[in-house]
Amino acid sequence: MDFLFSYIVLAEIYVLLGLSTNLLVGIAGIFSVSQAAVFGVGAYLVAHFMMAADPLSFIPSMLIAAACCVALNILVTLPSLRVSGDYFVVTSFGIQLLATAVFTNWAQGTGGANGLPGIPPPDLFGWPVETTGRYVLLCTLFAGLGCLAFWLIMRAPFGRLVRAIREDETAVAAAGKNVLRAKVSAAALAGAFAGTAGGLYATFLSFIDPSSFDLDASILLLTMVVVGGARTLAGSVIGPFLLLALPQLLTLVDIPTTIAAAARQLIYGLLLIVFMLFRPQGLAGERL
Amino acid sequence: MTAYLQVDGLDHRFGGLRALQECSFTIEQGRITCLVGPNGAGKTTIFNVITGFLKPDQGSVAFRGRSLDGLRPQSIVHAGIARTFQNLRLFTDLTALDNVLVGISGQFGEEPLGAILRPMHTARAQARRRMEAMQTLEHVGLADRARDLVRNLSYGEQKLLTVARVLATGAELLLLDEPASGLSAGALDAIMSLLRRLQNEGKTLLVVEHNTRVVQQIADDVLFLHQGHLMAQGTPERIISDPALAEIYFGGAL
Repeated sequence: MDFLFSYIVLAEIYVLLGLSTNLLVGIAGIFSVSQAAVFGVGAYLVAHFMMAADPLSFIPSMLIAAACCVALNILVTLPSLRVSGDYFVVTSFGIQLLATAVFTNWAQGTGGANGLPGIPPPDLFGWPVETTGRYVLLCTLFAGLGCLAFWLIMRAPFGRLVRAIREDETAVAAAGKNVLRAKVSAAALAGAFAGTAGGLYATFLSFIDPSSFDLDASILLLTMVVVGGARTLAGSVIGPFLLLALPQLLTLVDIPTTIAAAARQLIYGLLLIVFMLFRPQGLAGERL
Repeated sequence: MTAYLQVDGLDHRFGGLRALQECSFTIEQGRITCLVGPNGAGKTTIFNVITGFLKPDQGSVAFRGRSLDGLRPQSIVHAGIARTFQNLRLFTDLTALDNVLVGISGQFGEEPLGAILRPMHTARAQARRRMEAMQTLEHVGLADRARDLVRNLSYGEQKLLTVARVLATGAELLLLDEPASGLSAGALDAIMSLLRRLQNEGKTLLVVEHNTRVVQQIADDVLFLHQGHLMAQGTPERIISDPALAEIYFGGAL
């Protein structure tokens, strides 16, 4: 049962990340390959606050981490307002490498390559979230709220505005709209989602290390959006659940773990290529 | 008396090309003014300067006595001037109705926090805006295509939709870049009668147009641009019958 529960918890955390990536890449057309870096900052911040000499409890830690990730994501997205499209991918790639370097080498802050063990479980107003079953409830709550927020903004004028921006910024400005403000809003929301996911991830696993927040992780997020489907709520949910089921299935097959990890990367890569070539709209979305 | 739109001494260079040279003119309220001239005369550049997409090297633009210099495109729309593009620039993955809705100003729910915290209010405000947008579509004759994606609309319908999108902004001075080019006879009549109707409702129009038949039928006033400079201004009859201008327009010139 714990096996299934921990799959659900991880999938729901990745749903938040899927929403974040979909907002930025699928909807606003800001092609970021550094969403895992923001996810990582959220995770390290929550770990830091909850493990401090004078520790904060779960909710305040999450709020501060989310606020920091909002600011951070706006900051890392700002270059996209100056350099467009293809050039931003390269900039964002640099940001991801920079973040990985910091996570790996800043030993006092992040534990370096050894990671950060012993992150305490959340405590919700005296209700300790210690069992995986309780964690499912907590993550379902967060993922549910994330989906609700995503659904509300996508059906509101904001959703239409960012979709229009993705197609033609000049025409949006000519229609009298503030393109900059809308893009910053999209980046802020994406940052809040990624930071929240980071906090849930750190407290659930109680151990984090840089390998969860590297370029591979960013590309996994993009793969989830491509396979699930860009610009739809269903796509942001289906992608994570499907792609995270894969490693779980591989553990059922009797192969050595070293091969299983390689096989997983191989299958992810193949999925990305096959979907881009034959089904660019993903399972339940629109063309990226 | 201050002019409705005053363009004063505009100069602009693209590298070695002098696209505008001391270009000055005024436009009167409530009239349809056609901007004509050979290719490369600077017609679209003028549009880009007036609407804030291009900063001129020199010169200034004033609307109702208020300077527009240095304003960003969205501020100029709010000041009351909106434009279309020669290459349309519609949002082809959105519906016709959504294209018009993007143009409507001051909508609740354009900020994500408002949309999340006050969903009911957002939905009600949306419903009202949708009605407004439908009326605008009806006005240009596209009501039956409201739910269709723009890429499924005919070229003539797309041209009408660009007009609907500028109308949605509520601007009173409309800058239309070749609204009649490439249209079939039927679509041409539709757009010309639409332009007349807009004038009767109090809009002022500045229209880039190549087709002399269209110019003769709709223009109250014609501005003849040549090499970035205003060469002549007058009634369509006067401009079209001037042999010197015809020579520039139809060949031989440069």
